[in-house]
Amino acid sequence: MARKKRTTRRRSAKKRRKSKRRHSRFPWTKILLSLLVVLVAYVAFLDFQVYRQFEGKRWSLPARVYARPLELYAGLRLTSEQFASELRALGYRSVRVARKAGEVSRNGNRFQLISRPFVFWDGQESSQSVRVAFSSTHLKSLQDDRNGSALALARFDPLEIGSIHTARQEDRILLRLDEIPDILVEALIAVEDRNYYTHHGISPPAIARALWVNLSSGRVVQGGSTLTQQLVKNFFLSNRRSLWRKFNEAIMSLLLESRYEKDEILQAYLNEVYLAQDGQRAIHGFGLGSRFFFQRPPQELSTAQIALLVGMVKGPSYYDPRRHPDRARERRNLVLRVMHEQGIIDRAQYQKSRTEKLGLVKAAAGTSKTFPAFLDMVRRQLRRDYNESDLVSEGLRIFTTLDPQLQWALQKSLDQHIRPALKKQPQLQGAGLVTHSANGEVLALAGGREAGFAGFNRALDARRHVGSLIKPAVYLTALEQSTRYNLASLIDDDALEYEQSGQLWKPNNYDRKFHGQVMLYQALANSYNVATARLGLDLGVNAVIRTLQRLSVDQALNPYPSLFLGATDLSLLDVTRLYLNFASGGFQVPLRSIREVLDAGGVPLQRYQLSVERVIDPAPAYLINRALQMVVAEGSARSLNRRFASALGLAGKTGTTNDLRDSWFAGYDGEKLAVIWMGRDDNQPMGLSGASGAMQVWAGLFASAGAVTQQLAQPDSVEWYRVDRERAGLADTGCKDTVQLPFIESGSKPATAPCAQGRPRRWLPEWLQ
Amino acid sequence: MKRVISLLVVLLSACSSAPRHTLPPVVDGTQPGRPQPEAADSVERPDRVEVPVPPPAPSGGAVVALLDRADAYHQSGDIGNEAATVERALRIDPNNGRLWNRLAAIRLDQGQPRQAEQLALKSNALSRGETRLQAQNWRLVAKARWSMNDSVGARAAEKKARALH
Repeated sequence: MARKKRTTRRRSAKKRRKSKRRHSRFPWTKILLSLLVVLVAYVAFLDFQVYRQFEGKRWSLPARVYARPLELYAGLRLTSEQFASELRALGYRSVRVARKAGEVSRNGNRFQLISRPFVFWDGQESSQSVRVAFSSTHLKSLQDDRNGSALALARFDPLEIGSIHTARQEDRILLRLDEIPDILVEALIAVEDRNYYTHHGISPPAIARALWVNLSSGRVVQGGSTLTQQLVKNFFLSNRRSLWRKFNEAIMSLLLESRYEKDEILQAYLNEVYLAQDGQRAIHGFGLGSRFFFQRPPQELSTAQIALLVGMVKGPSYYDPRRHPDRARERRNLVLRVMHEQGIIDRAQYQKSRTEKLGLVKAAAGTSKTFPAFLDMVRRQLRRDYNESDLVSEGLRIFTTLDPQLQWALQKSLDQHIRPALKKQPQLQGAGLVTHSANGEVLALAGGREAGFAGFNRALDARRHVGSLIKPAVYLTALEQSTRYNLASLIDDDALEYEQSGQLWKPNNYDRKFHGQVMLYQALANSYNVATARLGLDLGVNAVIRTLQRLSVDQALNPYPSLFLGATDLSLLDVTRLYLNFASGGFQVPLRSIREVLDAGGVPLQRYQLSVERVIDPAPAYLINRALQMVVAEGSARSLNRRFASALGLAGKTGTTNDLRDSWFAGYDGEKLAVIWMGRDDNQPMGLSGASGAMQVWAGLFASAGAVTQQLAQPDSVEWYRVDRERAGLADTGCKDTVQLPFIESGSKPATAPCAQGRPRRWLPEWLQ
Repeated sequence: MKRVISLLVVLLSACSSAPRHTLPPVVDGTQPGRPQPEAADSVERPDRVEVPVPPPAPSGGAVVALLDRADAYHQSGDIGNEAATVERALRIDPNNGRLWNRLAAIRLDQGQPRQAEQLALKSNALSRGETRLQAQNWRLVAKARWSMNDSVGARAAEKKARALH
């Protein structure tokens, strides 16, 4: 058996030698053959390239960043105007009767609309047809439009607020062919490559035609490229015009067509095509193009808008409708004519579309220009958890906490209060941060007076003296020693001199007066410096520092008594963290600007969950909150009562630094906390106090956003008493001028006031009686 | 039945906890430019301290719907989405002690006893007068502390739970 095999081998070796001899007689065949081998190898190489790139991940996609989705339900605090502005930003079309997703019909305070489907963290939210009615302040009713039944909840598609990309990066929204309207595809084929469905990648008649036209005119005026060739050119090849590249293009087109279905190639083309430039970002594909120019998906475009986009393929910058509207309109109408001639649209539609306005959205949507300061914060959080390269290439979908309504209101209020002052104070700046008190979500952030200015982010990076904003930490330290202090404890606000390491410290009050014996809550409410300094000295500076550290002020603090009056630098972010402890009822809530991160396919990658940590016991937390409400009720923020009902129970604290260099206000209602700063970058005086500057911005914000009643959660260990204002003693009906104050049951209480007729009893707020 | 219970949960908590209730700003927007009586007047006299009677939570339906959804996620073992859905409900009704209690229970299931404990404390802070819920929270705290090997704290929490019965 083994022998037999050997003989066969020998025989075939003989054969090979024979054929070798024959070849050597015809050398040109050998050359031709090796050329053929090289060619085949080269084609195989191109084929591999086509295959690899087309099969693999075709495009690197920037991460997309979204605002919070609007959730509608009966009772939501939202006006019809706010709702309309949000729908406008989302690109919903105003129509007489909404029939398709993304359409809305409005009649005064009533809306009928169809929401867009969207993939969220917890899956797909399908399109809903709803009716919404508003009262002057609230959403009154939410109904299913098909049967009129009440709907519990409707969630809308979120506003895209930016993408994370590198310099000169291509950006696109990938779409499946079935997500692109048929007439867009038909129009594109009619205009760019009529024989698309019949050719094999290249179109000899088209090339001949182009050659003829080009030769007769002596320059290149017409290209004979098929859609496949255009795709190959953009996808695999450089931008140089050369014969060699043309050759490659033709071969690769043929290869692509032999490997893939027409529809697959078409889908790739629709996503690849270059349509516009947005600063450093190149806009590719009809998905993003549609959003970039019209702020809506292609399914919702009108015939004229489709024609405009199709027309732009020929020359995106030459036909840029924002820069050259007339040129773009002419090109659009040409496309419309072709569409009509090819029977894609009928005569009536052609005539109607010809006269339609271009209908562009003003600002380029989805760019990082709208909310740069907030995006800055999001990016910082993302960089902690993700590689930069993944952020710019993996098409991650980032769901943030930004509330566009509050962001617009914050920017508007900053603008309204800073702009008029710029004549006198051209360098005046401002910043603000709004958070949800219960869950720490960052709802709005302004890093400077100009909305949309992507520069120095004052909300995150500026560190300034905080002045009286720090005082609640001193008073909380006292109230936590409940056997020594209560809200009615008397504190001396007379002149104070304190010597430390040879230096004399003589704090003064803002009004340059001394106020004698004042109740503890009054000293905080009126922001008396001297009384605060005395209280602080009594407690010891280290005790106050310990409190601040517990309340997440984590930097090194100078252990000097001037700390009691805020002679320490904090950022707006630090101040927000500090006040969130109060606004959330004594719980520390980490700030979050991101809710969820999904991958490009909508699969959840990461959730940033809500967490809380109790840092103040319920009773002292209640007392300090009540004291901060008294700041608004009768203290340095009392002018807020001109604009807001006292029953809202707003709480807050003003802060002013030496010579009016910084103007601060930190304030909260039952739902959100906002901290506002005003001042100059060079730290020079600018003439505004906390109340005359930052607090006015705060008031403007809460007036337009709507304030929510704050009812402090009262612990069982707290009881209320009337206190005589004059003598700071427990009072009853015999006393004329009294104030109701909460006390810790087991803690200290004032003696009975002389005016009291009997033994003062616990006082119950009406809602507890 | 589950729906009815959820509805009861929300209505009950609406009566006892402090639901959101909005009052419009007095002047801004409606009567611009007309100042209210100045500060001296706006300093409240004590007999004017009115705390409005809380109206029923207007957002009840939405919260019930979300709790239903959270229940469905719970049944299917999708704890991540259950948590996300309860957090969504908390955005709508952040003063609802029952929602915080629910989230605390979820964190315990997720193996986060420290958060479970803290969230239960948060729930208690918002559940004045609701002894059953408070007892439930203390039992949750006890469970969480046991799993953190804090037997002293766990026993203290159990004692508080018993005292509420």
